[in-house]
Amino acid sequence: MDFLGFAVTQCLNALSQAAVLFFIACGLTLIFGIMRIVNFAHGAIFMLGAYVGYTAIAITGSFLLSLVVAPIVVGIVGMAFERVFLRPLYGRRDGGSYLMLTFGLAVVLSEAIRLIWGAQPLGAGIPRFLRGVVFVFDQPFPLYRVFLIALGVAAAIAVWQFLERTRAGLLIRAVSQNAEMVHALGVDVDMVRTVVFGIGCAMAAFGGALAAPLVTAFLGMGTTVVIDAFVVVIIGGMGSFLGSIIGSILIAFVQVVGSYYFQELALAFMYLLMLLILVIRPGGLLGTEE
Amino acid sequence: MRRRLGFAVTAALSAALPLVLPQYTLTIVTEALIFGLFAMSLDLMVGYCRLYSFGHAAAYGLGAYSCGMLLARLELPLPVGIVLAVAITVIIAIPIAWVCTRSTGVSFSMLTLAFAQLGYAMLYRFKEFTGGSDGIDGIPRPVGPFGIAVLQGKLGYYYLVLFCLFGSYLLCRTIVRSPFGAVLSGIRENETKMRALGYNTRAYKLTTVVLAYGFGALAGALFAAFAGFASPELFFWLASGRVLIMVIVGGAGTLIGPILGGAGFLFVENQLSQLTDLWPLIFGTIFIGFVMFAPQGVWGLITRSIEKSPAVTEAIEREETSGAAS
Amino acid sequence: MEYPLITTQATRRRFLKGALAAGAAVTAPAYLTRATAATPIKIGIPTVITGGYAVLGQQVVRTCKLVKKMTDAKNGVLGRPVEFLFQDTQGDPANCVRKCQEFVERDDCRIFSGVIVSSEAAAIMPKLEEWNAFFISHGNGDGRLTAELFVPRFFRANTSAPMGARAVVLYLRDAPQKTFVALASDYSWGQSSVKAFEEQIKKIGKQLVDKVFTPVGNKDYSTYITKVLQSKAEGCYIALQGDEARAFYSQATQYDLSERVQFYTEIVAQSDIEVLGKDSLGLIGGSRYPFTYDIPQNKEFVAAFNEEYPNVIPDWTDGEIYQALMILFAAIEKADSTEPMKIVTAMEDLDVTSVKGPVLMRKCDHQGENQGFVVKVANNAKYSEPIPEIVKIYPREMATPDCRSSSFSN
Repeated sequence: MDFLGFAVTQCLNALSQAAVLFFIACGLTLIFGIMRIVNFAHGAIFMLGAYVGYTAIAITGSFLLSLVVAPIVVGIVGMAFERVFLRPLYGRRDGGSYLMLTFGLAVVLSEAIRLIWGAQPLGAGIPRFLRGVVFVFDQPFPLYRVFLIALGVAAAIAVWQFLERTRAGLLIRAVSQNAEMVHALGVDVDMVRTVVFGIGCAMAAFGGALAAPLVTAFLGMGTTVVIDAFVVVIIGGMGSFLGSIIGSILIAFVQVVGSYYFQELALAFMYLLMLLILVIRPGGLLGTEE
Repeated sequence: MRRRLGFAVTAALSAALPLVLPQYTLTIVTEALIFGLFAMSLDLMVGYCRLYSFGHAAAYGLGAYSCGMLLARLELPLPVGIVLAVAITVIIAIPIAWVCTRSTGVSFSMLTLAFAQLGYAMLYRFKEFTGGSDGIDGIPRPVGPFGIAVLQGKLGYYYLVLFCLFGSYLLCRTIVRSPFGAVLSGIRENETKMRALGYNTRAYKLTTVVLAYGFGALAGALFAAFAGFASPELFFWLASGRVLIMVIVGGAGTLIGPILGGAGFLFVENQLSQLTDLWPLIFGTIFIGFVMFAPQGVWGLITRSIEKSPAVTEAIEREETSGAAS
Repeated sequence: MEYPLITTQATRRRFLKGALAAGAAVTAPAYLTRATAATPIKIGIPTVITGGYAVLGQQVVRTCKLVKKMTDAKNGVLGRPVEFLFQDTQGDPANCVRKCQEFVERDDCRIFSGVIVSSEAAAIMPKLEEWNAFFISHGNGDGRLTAELFVPRFFRANTSAPMGARAVVLYLRDAPQKTFVALASDYSWGQSSVKAFEEQIKKIGKQLVDKVFTPVGNKDYSTYITKVLQSKAEGCYIALQGDEARAFYSQATQYDLSERVQFYTEIVAQSDIEVLGKDSLGLIGGSRYPFTYDIPQNKEFVAAFNEEYPNVIPDWTDGEIYQALMILFAAIEKADSTEPMKIVTAMEDLDVTSVKGPVLMRKCDHQGENQGFVVKVANNAKYSEPIPEIVKIYPREMATPDCRSSSFSN
C-alpha cells in the first residue's frame, strides 16, 4: 500500500470513529451545558439505541426506519427519566446527587437491556444498499463508514444551525448561560431542560443504531464507549458544542495513530492527553468551566 | 461516653463473631470488612470535603498491586508488605492529588477518573512487570517475624482486618474531629469564605485526598494478601463507581455509614446474587431510591431517628448541663 | 464344607460370633453404598454467563445439562448422580477465585471445570492445594498453564493455543502463502497463540512479517484491518474469540479483507460462522472440536445433543467440555473415589477415546495429547448454515508440544 493511500485510509478510519464518538459526546456536552449534569447513563443510552435499532430492523426490515425509531423511542425514555428522577433534585445544591443518579440509571438500564434482549450479541448486519467498498487511492474502504462520516458531518451542521439560527436553539444557549434570567423572562426552563436531555439521549441512540451493524449490539458496549465520550467532552470543553466536534476528531485520531504506531500504549495515550490538557486548561480546550 | 461504650460493644461483638459463623461466611465477612474500610477511606473525600472521586479504585488497586508484588516477588513479611504498600501509594498519590485539586467540581471528578483509567491502561502496558491482564497471582501470606504463623490462617487474618479497620476508623475519627477536620467542614460548606479567611484550602484538600488514598491502599493491600490475587479489574471505573455508591448509601460524612454500606453491600451482593438473576437491577433501583429520598444514607437515617428519640435528647441535655464532653 | 461333629459351648459361641461377623460383612456394604449412592458428585462450573465471552459460557452450561441427563440415564458415575453447580464469573479472575472459594467452603465441592478465560484459570491454580481441589480445563488455551505455571492438581483436556497454532502451521506447509501477519487479542491466550505461531512458522521456512495485538474489549477494528493490509502479507493468522472475533470478521468483510489476505484462524467457531453467514465460506483454521468427526463416540454425542437441542449445531466448546467431563468421569471410576489427589493419580497417563478421538492425559505435564484438526468452512446440504469440514487430521504426538513447554521439537 503506498503511503498516500494508507494515510488517507487511516484518516477516513479516524473520521468514521469520530462520527460515532461525536453522536455520543454531543449529547453529553449539551446535557452538561444546560443542566451541569454529567450523564453517566449516556453509555447505556447509546446501548439502548443499538438494541432498539436492532429490534426496529427485525420488525420492519428497514434500516433507515430504525435510524428514525431508535432516537425517538430513546429520546422519550430519556425525557421521562429526566422528568421523574432528575427534576425533583434541582433544588439540591450539591452536584454529587446527579452523578449518583445517572450512575444508578446506567446500572438499571444495562440490566434492563440484558433482561429484555438477552445476553447474546445481536446483529442485523449492514443493510444491503450500504455494503460494498469504495476505492480510495486503490485501497478498499467500506461504504458504510463513508455513510457514517457523511451522517456525522450532516448532524454536526444540523445541530450547529439549530443552536445558532433557531429560536429554540437560542433558548437553549441562554439557559445554559444564565438559567435564572431566562426563567425571570417567563420561559419554562424546566421544559427546556427536559427537551435538551431528550435530544442528547436521542443523539446517543442514533449513534448506537448506527454502530450496531458495525460492531453488533452487545452488553457492555456502553461501558467502554462512555469513558471515551467523557474524554472527548472533557478535552473539548464541557458544555461546548464546537469542543465536542474538535474533541471527537482529536481523540479518534489519537486512538488510530496511537494504536497503529504505539500499540502497547494505545489505551494509555488517550488518558495521558486528557490529563495534559486538563493540567494546562482545566476547563478543556474550549470550555467555560473554571 | 455513649460513643465509647458503643465502640467497645461493637468491637467485642466483632471479635466474637468467628465463634458463631461458619467458615465460608467468615471469608465473606472478612472481604466485606476490607471493602468497608475502602468505602470509609473514600468518605474522607466525599463526606468531609465534598470531593466526588470517580477514581478511588486507583487507591485500592495501587495498594493491592504494591502489596502483591512485594509479597510475591520480594517475599517480604506480611506486615512489612502492607505498610510499604501504603507508603508507596501515598507517595504516588501526592502528585495525583496535586493535579486533581487544581480543579473543582466536575473537573475534579473527571481528573480522578482519568488517573484511575490511566492506571488501568498502564497495567497492560507494563505487562512484564504487572502481569498484564493476568494480574499477579499466587500472592502468599508469608510467615511473620519470629515464625508467627497466625496470620496465615483464616481466623488470624480476620482479626488482622478487624484491627486495621478499627484502627483506621479511630484515626479517621480523630482527624475529622481535630482542627484540621473543622477546616474541612468549613471548606465543604463554603470554600470561598474559607479562602477569604486566609486558609490555603487547596493544601487541605490535597492532604485529604492523600489520606484517603492511604487508607484506601491499606484496604487494597489487605485484599491482595487475602485473595492471593490482584488483577486490572480492580482499577476499572466501575469499581470506583461501586464504592462511591456505597459511601452514599451508607451515609456520607459519617465514617461509620460507609463502613456499614460497604461491608453490607458486599455481603448482601454475595448472598443475593446466588438467589436471583435480578440482583444488579435491584441494587441499582435501591441506589436511585437512596439518592432521591434518603441522601443521608442508611446510617444517616438511623442516627437521625436515634437522635430524635426522647431518651437520647434527655441524655444529651444531661451531658451538656454537667459540662462533660464525650 | 465340614462342620465339627462335636460342638462345645466355646466353639458354638465362636461360630455364632463368626456368623454374626460374616453376616454384618455381607450386609454392611449394602447400607454403605446406599448412603453414598445418595450423595451426588458435585462439579463446580465457574463460567462466563454475562460478558464478552458469554456465548462460550452458555455453551458450557447447555452441554453440562445434557451430560447430567445422559449420566442420570446410566445410573450416574460410581452409582452416584452428577450434580453441576453453575456460577457466573463474568470473565473476571477475582470473581472466579471467589466463586471457587464458595464452592469449596459452602458447597463442599472440590472439582472444577468450565472456566473460560485463561487468566481466570491462572488465578485459581495456585489455590487448588489450599482448597484440596481438582481442576480440569475444557478450553483454557494459554500454553503456560501446563508449562511454567504447572500445578499437580490441574489437567488440561483440551487443545491449547500452541497446539492450535501447530495444527495451522502444519497445514501451512502445503499452502501457497509465504508471508503472514498475526492478529490476536492482547491477553495471555492471544499472546500464547501468536508466540507459538511465530516460533513454528519459522521452522517451515515461512515468514511472520508483523504482529497486531488488539486491546481486550476492542470494538472498532478499522485501524487494525488497515495495519493488516499495510503489512502486505499473503496470509493472516487470527487468534480472537467471542464478541471480538465476531466484530472483527464482520468489519473485515466490509473492507473485503478476505479477498486480499487469506485468513487462517486458530479456532473456527460456529458462533462466528453464524454471525458471518455466507461471508464465512472459505475460512480455514484449527478446530478444537469438529462436530462432523466420524467416530462412534462422537456420533453418539452429536445425536444426544441434537435430540436435546434440535437445530443447534454443536460448537467447539460443547465438544471440549463433553470430552473433559468424560475424561474426568473415567478417572473417577478408575480411582473409585472423588478425592482430588486420587483423581490426579488416576488421570495421569489415562488414555481415553472420546469425541475427538484418542486422548492421552500425559503424566509429565497433565496436558491431554489431542489430535490436531484443521477445518474449512463450506456449505453443506444437510445444514441451513455453513459448517466447518475437516480437511486434515494430525496425529496427537505431532500436534502436542514437548513436556512442560509450548514448543515443538519434532
